Amino acid sequence: MRMNPTNVFEVTQLETDTGTIVYLQGQLDLSMSPYFRSVMEPLAAQQDKKLTLNLRDLKYIDSTGIGIIISLLKLRNELGTTLFVEEISPKTQRLFDMIGITEFLRHEEDSRVEQTGGTA
Amino acid sequence: MIAHNKPVRMTIPAHADYIDVVRLSLYGIATRMGYSFEDIEDMKVAVSEACNNVIVHAYKGHDDAYIDVVFQTSPQALSIRIKDFGESFDFKRAAERAESLHGKEVTELKAGGLGIYMMQALMDEVEVINENGTEVVLTKWLGGSLGGNTHAAQSNVSILSRYSSG
Repeated sequence: MRMNPTNVFEVTQLETDTGTIVYLQGQLDLSMSPYFRSVMEPLAAQQDKKLTLNLRDLKYIDSTGIGIIISLLKLRNELGTTLFVEEISPKTQRLFDMIGITEFLRHEEDSRVEQTGGTA
Repeated sequence: MIAHNKPVRMTIPAHADYIDVVRLSLYGIATRMGYSFEDIEDMKVAVSEACNNVIVHAYKGHDDAYIDVVFQTSPQALSIRIKDFGESFDFKRAAERAESLHGKEVTELKAGGLGIYMMQALMDEVEVINENGTEVVLTKWLGGSLGGNTHAAQSNVSILSRYSSG
């Protein structure tokens, strides 16, 4: 019997006109962190492309997964660019807020506001 | 219902692929005890971090090692004991250095210590016993935080860490 296949960690890339959106799905823990790192590092190194993590279907993340996001953030920062995140679930948001990483991640919605000149 | 004073014991290979088995067992026990969704999520993260520490620090990737996990239930609390027989890890020192990322610059960000910080922030009590390896005891009070309080982790004032060395 296969139980709850949505918990299997999967990474899906979507190339758009402006950059790459990476959809994370399932549980990202110590067992999947080497795979996640190997997928993300080459993408993060492309400084001329916008990089966005979509966390809508991320069911679980631990300190090793968050540690990789931190290293990606630092790499992007060194390259003079940033890392965007979008659709963070309340569960993940709560963990990010507790750790203090939220303030370093650019939300996709923020950039849209900037592009349209913000609100009056 | 779940009977008290009847601990559930399991032994898993000290390998990352088995941490999910501990999370699933924890979910089953904590749900029956009546913990809120958020409390269960907190415990899942904390217990996984304790297992991560064993695999990464105590056994350093040895693949013939095991972790003993005991779930102790009482009417007031669930305690999860995570015991290894590996190299002693200076948990106390690591816990003292563990901190969140609030107020730092991007260049100052470090992932080290986050797991221990999360364990302390997410549980009501963290006890570490260094004796023939390391045993971490994580306790969450039942009904300690009201369901729906999304700020429970930040506003938790009952964090207590006890350290005893063998």
